[in-house]
Amino acid sequence: MNAKTLIDLNNKKRPLLNEANLAYYENMLIYIRSASNKSEEQTEELLLELLEHLLQAQSEGKNAIDIFGSNPKAYCDELIQELPKEKQKPRLLFVAQISFQTIGFLSLIYGVIGLTKYYFFQIGTVVTSFYPATTFVILVCYLIILFLFIKTVFWWLKQSTFAGRQTNKWIEFIQAWLGVSVFISLFVVIMRLTPKFGPVMQIPTVLLIGFSLILYLIAYLIKRKGQ
Amino acid sequence: MSLRSQMLKGILEGCILSIIHHQPAYGYEISVILQEYGLENISEGSIYPILLRLQREHLIIGEMRKSESGPKRKYYQLTEDGHEALREFFLQWEAIKNPVDNIVHQGGYDV
Repeated sequence: MNAKTLIDLNNKKRPLLNEANLAYYENMLIYIRSASNKSEEQTEELLLELLEHLLQAQSEGKNAIDIFGSNPKAYCDELIQELPKEKQKPRLLFVAQISFQTIGFLSLIYGVIGLTKYYFFQIGTVVTSFYPATTFVILVCYLIILFLFIKTVFWWLKQSTFAGRQTNKWIEFIQAWLGVSVFISLFVVIMRLTPKFGPVMQIPTVLLIGFSLILYLIAYLIKRKGQ
Repeated sequence: MSLRSQMLKGILEGCILSIIHHQPAYGYEISVILQEYGLENISEGSIYPILLRLQREHLIIGEMRKSESGPKRKYYQLTEDGHEALREFFLQWEAIKNPVDNIVHQGGYDV
């Protein structure tokens, strides 16, 4: 069974837990899932196994603390330590898929905006000019920032799971809002500050849309290959 | 990790290998068998880190299968290396259990 099937199964069974057990289990689930570079399939197999165990125990009147102990963080750390690492190939496929999707998305946005400006507001031309070298630098920076962002989100999830304090929804919201703002500003700053260099290239704007569709198709094929 | 819990882990590992040797079993089953034999103080969850380690060392393999009662469960069975590890554990345990028992009793400690 692949990771996706296991996750679906987990989602279907989790609601059978009672409130206290569900809260305990979901913390474990978030914490273990956010451990980076562990085999996704093995992780999901373990999570489903723990869920089945807890469900069975629940039907016998036991609760999560009886089964997994009163220190879930230490217990999860122990489990994470024993989980096998993700193999190189799925990780690279995932990185490639996200990269193609991101570049495809940017290309689509540029194409649509360019054409809308021209056809609806008579601004600009049907040709887009750009500096390939500059564009390349910007895209590489974007992808690096994107992966740093993903890492940060995982880190944040992990460290906040068993923090033990009553989490204030407002504080969490403001933290998330600030984080996303910094992330978006970085995108804009990089676009503005990267110097224009190298030769200029001109292509019909509509090609950008075609280009993005090709990138999406590649990303889709990579995703299928990964499953 | 304290010496005590390390010792316990080693022994638990041997017990789990023995249980799986008897017949392929899933996590919950294994914990029930451990309890039936009187290891009641061991929290049920503590078998999972051990099962993961045994898998990583290729002593057992887990396979998702449909169980008799319905849900898919991960059944574990011994590998070739697992049989060898169990044999080693058995020999070591045989060599150690009586002497340790005698020493402890001779020290006058009995409950």
